[in-house]
Parts: sequence; structure tokens; C-alpha cells
Amino acid sequence: MTLPCGTRSYRYAEDMAIIRTKTQWALLIFLLVVLFTMPLYVRSNYWLGIANLIGITLIAATGLNILIGYCGQLSIGHAGFIAVGAYTSAILTNRLELPFLVGLICAGITAGLIGLVFGIPSVRVKGFYLAITTIAAQFIIIWVINHWGITGGFIGISAPYPAIGGFVFKSEASQFYLIITITVICIFVAKNLARSRIGRAFIAVRDNDLAAEVMGVNLFRYKLLAFFIGCFLAGIAGSLLAHWIGFINTEHFSLAESILYIGMIIIGGLGTTVGPIFGVVFVRLLQQLLTVGVVPFLEGTFTSLPAGFATGVTPMLFGLVIVLFLVLEPRGLAHRWALFKSAYRLWPFSY
Amino acid sequence: MAVLVQLLITGLAVGMVYALIALGFVVIWKSSSVANLALGQLVLISSWFTYGMLAQIGLPLWLGFPLVILFALALGWLMERVALRPLIAQPILSLITVTLGVAYFIEGIVTFIWPKSVAALPRLFPVEPFHIGAAVVSQEYLWVAIISLIVFGLLTLFYRYHKMGIAMRATADDQLAVQACGIPVTRIFSSSWMVACVVAAVGGVLISSIGGITFGLVETGLKAFSVVILGGLDSFIGAIVAGPIIGLCETLGGGYLTPFLWPGVKDIIPFIIIIIVVLIKPYGLFGEVRIERI
Repeated sequence: MTLPCGTRSYRYAEDMAIIRTKTQWALLIFLLVVLFTMPLYVRSNYWLGIANLIGITLIAATGLNILIGYCGQLSIGHAGFIAVGAYTSAILTNRLELPFLVGLICAGITAGLIGLVFGIPSVRVKGFYLAITTIAAQFIIIWVINHWGITGGFIGISAPYPAIGGFVFKSEASQFYLIITITVICIFVAKNLARSRIGRAFIAVRDNDLAAEVMGVNLFRYKLLAFFIGCFLAGIAGSLLAHWIGFINTEHFSLAESILYIGMIIIGGLGTTVGPIFGVVFVRLLQQLLTVGVVPFLEGTFTSLPAGFATGVTPMLFGLVIVLFLVLEPRGLAHRWALFKSAYRLWPFSY
Repeated sequence: MAVLVQLLITGLAVGMVYALIALGFVVIWKSSSVANLALGQLVLISSWFTYGMLAQIGLPLWLGFPLVILFALALGWLMERVALRPLIAQPILSLITVTLGVAYFIEGIVTFIWPKSVAALPRLFPVEPFHIGAAVVSQEYLWVAIISLIVFGLLTLFYRYHKMGIAMRATADDQLAVQACGIPVTRIFSSSWMVACVVAAVGGVLISSIGGITFGLVETGLKAFSVVILGGLDSFIGAIVAGPIIGLCETLGGGYLTPFLWPGVKDIIPFIIIIIVVLIKPYGLFGEVRIERI
């Protein structure tokens, strides 16, 4: 199907393997080498910063993809759960001076538990009701953070550099290694989760939850599990984000950010592992291109632009991109990628 | 006591406006089962448009307000035609997300055209307060409540007697049967979006004539969802009953709970109500309980 001719399986383990051919192994190793040596040839801190942001966003988007793409539970409050993780980690490391790793794990677990609480309605309702519940969750979380003394309120809270053992990740390059390692682990786990019993249960729930229940899938358990895993990854991403930025307040976790996360996985392609990667890279690069390249250029060229141009053009364009993708390519960039791969494999023959 | 009366009247009036905005949601949900999450942004852009017409260009009210209605009609038509029409019969996730995309887009347009974040509409209603016992209540609230009731009445009449209104109700009931009767369902969708936008625009103008135009209007639109959830997604009566309830909870809670909790508890009450309602009675007070079959 998606494999080159002549690939045979002699054992079930071979049939199940993700990576089947020598070419795929070579490409994977090549990709990992390119990825992990990035700080050696990308010298600018600016681009490494973007890579870090992409890595962090990717963890959260992978979580959201498990929740929406695999399990079909709509969540429009993802930024709220990321905020839970970010603040948990910042409070633990800053106020209680616990080590970074403890903060990281606790951030994931706290966000997961909060996600569980707000995911409970998913057992009874779905679709729009769930969307509204998660929006409510987002507002309640942000409100609590803004008013609770321990979180620093509206001003925000600072988070120290991440440190493991005695080593402090101070530079962009060292943080890059930390973030990219966790990102790769998360994607690997997500890919395998989707193929496991849990992942298949998720897909059954997504396609028709009543039918799944009749088949013996425990809805309560699997829906809440999806919320826990999705929000756990959001919490991990939040923790990394807090320590990477160094100083967070609730401005980083607005509803618009939640919508952008949904946009990312839609643009990338729901229910695929490569989808979030495409979506996140696309959206974050477009963001950088707009704020650093296009807008200053246009403002320099046309001096009579209205004052709101710089702040208005980004949401406008992202809204447009989300709508266009839904209308024109609802299966996202991942589908295009699959089409490209099969076309490449058969080239120059079209059959 | 005076405080209580004041809070009661304010809550009822604000609740009426919420109900009005919520009606804009119900109209669309009833005819096409699309959840319009861009409600807050519709309120926002129509308020800003009113500001542009009345304050910036300086049109008189009798000319400016019909223009706002026209603008809302055009907006509703455009949204349905460009974003929603291609997605008919798509999964609910796509439908919800596309309205979110539209919401984002509208927010961008608003910051683009009206870069300042706060503005006040010119006074639409007389400002002299009137007295009920010891309570002093701003006259604006009364006017807002009256206009909301009038719009609600008009809408009810429209749905009861106008041909298009009856067709809309029929579409809500059974799309396939309606299509077989020769009613163009797509046109019904498009006109329900237009009606919804007008209702949201009126609500927006009313609420921003009291509180001014800020980005908080988006949140106001989101609070209208608590009305929808409490009243039931497909019920006009539900919206009209639940609106004042939410308004009262908000003002009373804000008035009496703030000393015990953190400030700003007022803004969060509708969202807490959403979660409670979804947990206890997900289809709301008057909503139709759907029984699912495989």
C-alpha cells in the first residue's frame, strides 16, 4: 500500500514495525542527525529560539491531536491547560526551589488532573457542549491564575533556567537539546500509543462512541484517559515554555492561542502523527515570517498603512488560513504529504 | 435593600441583552445545527461598525442604525456563503472550527480598522436616572430591556407568521422533507445566518451603549453561550428565560460574592454555570433531549 514493491513480512513483528525498509531507517537516522546537530550549523540564537518554540508547541499540539484527532473530544481550552503546566512548574521551581525535573513531571500531572476534572462532562456530552465546556475551563483557569496570590497574579511569575543534576541549560543551544529530546520522545510515544490498544479504542470512540461502547470500549475510562494524556502533554509543554521564556503571565495563554492550536492540527491533518509536525512548523514559521518579515517590510514600503495593521494582520491571516484549509483541504498537509510520497514512489509512472 | 433592587434591575436588563445575543445563536442552531462560536466577534464588529457610522462619520441615528442592520445582513450572508456553505454535512468538528477561524479573522479586521481598544458609543438613550424606592437605576438599562423584548417579540412573530420563518422552523424539523417540498434549504441557511447576525448586532449595540466598546465584548458573546446552554440549544423560550437568570446570577454574585472571593468573580460566574449545567442537565431547561441511535 504505502510500501515499495518487494517488501515482505515473515513475522508479525515485522508486519507491525513502523520502519520497514533500509531507506526508511537511513532517512530516519539522517533526520535525527540533522535535528540533533542543528546548533552546530544554525549559529543564530534567533533561529534556535524559533526551533525551541516549535519543539514546545509540537509537544502541546501532539497532546491536542491525541485528544481531538484520535479520540474526537473537542477541546478549545488547550492554552489553559498549558498555563496550568507552566505555572505549576514555575511555582515549584521558583517558590519551593524544587529541581526542574520534579517541576516538569508535576506540571504534566497537574495539567492532566485539571484536564480530567474539565473532561468529566465529556462522558455525558460531546460536540458543541464539550467545546463550550472547555472554553469555560480556559476562562476559569486563567481567572484563577490571575487572582491567586501564589501565581503572581496579573504581573506574572519568573521561572529559573532548567537544570538537571548540576548542569544548567542557559544558552538557546543547550535548551534546544533539552526541548528536542523531550519532543522526540513525546512524538515517539504518541505514534506508538496510536497503534496500541488504547489508540484503537480512541479511534473507535471518535468514529462512533455509542458503537464503541456497545463493542465493549469503556467510554468513561477512555475519554478521560484521552483528556489526561492530552493535558499531560500540554502540561509538559507548558513547563518547558515557562523555563524557556523565563517569565510568564497569562498573556501567553489566551483563548486566541487555544484557537491557534486547533488551527495547527487542522492545518497539519487530524489523526496523524506527522500532521501536528507539519501544522506547527507551518504556523510558527508563518507567524515569524509575518511579524519579522512581511509586516515591517510593508510598513516600510507603504507609509500610509492604518495603525492597527501590524497587530491586525496576523489574526486575520490565521483565521483565513484555518477557514481555507477546512474548505479546500480538510485532511490537512499530512494528506498532501501522503499523496506526494505515493506519487514520488511511482514516478515517472502514474500507475 | 436599595443595593438589591439596583442589582436586580441591572441583572435583568443585562440578562435581556445576553438573551438577545443568545437568540442569534439559537436561530442558526435550529435551522442548520451549526454552533456559531464567532458570536462574540459578531457582537464586537457590529458595535465597532456602529461606532464608525455614528461617531466617526457622524451620521444621525435614523440613518446610521439601518446601515448597521444592512451591514449585519451582509456579514451574515457572506459568512454563510464563504465559510459554511462548502462545509455542509461535514463533521461537527469542522463546523465549529470554521466558525473559530472566522472569529479570528473578524478580530483581525477589527484591530485592523479600529486600532484603538476602547471607545464609547454616542448616547442612544436619555441618561437621567430614575428612583425606585431608595435605589437609583440608570434609565439606559430599562430601555435596553424594552428593546430586547421588542426584538424578541418581532422574532417570535416572524417565526410564527412569516413564510420564511415557517420555512426555517420546518428546516429545523426535517431537512430532507423540506427539500422534498421544494424549499431551498441553502437559502434557509443563509437567511438564518442573516437573521442571527442582525440579532447579535442589535444586542451588541445595546450592550456597548451601556458599557462602551472594548474587547470584552467578545467575552460578552461567550457569556451568551451560558444562556444558550442553560436554556437549551434549540429553544427561543429557553434563551429568553435563561438570559435574565444568567444576568441576575452575574450581578447578584458579583455584588455579594466579591467580598468573600477574589475581585472579578462576576466575569467567571457564567462559565461556572456552563460547567454545572453541562454536568447536571446537559440539554438545558427547555432543550430537546436527543436520543442517539447507532
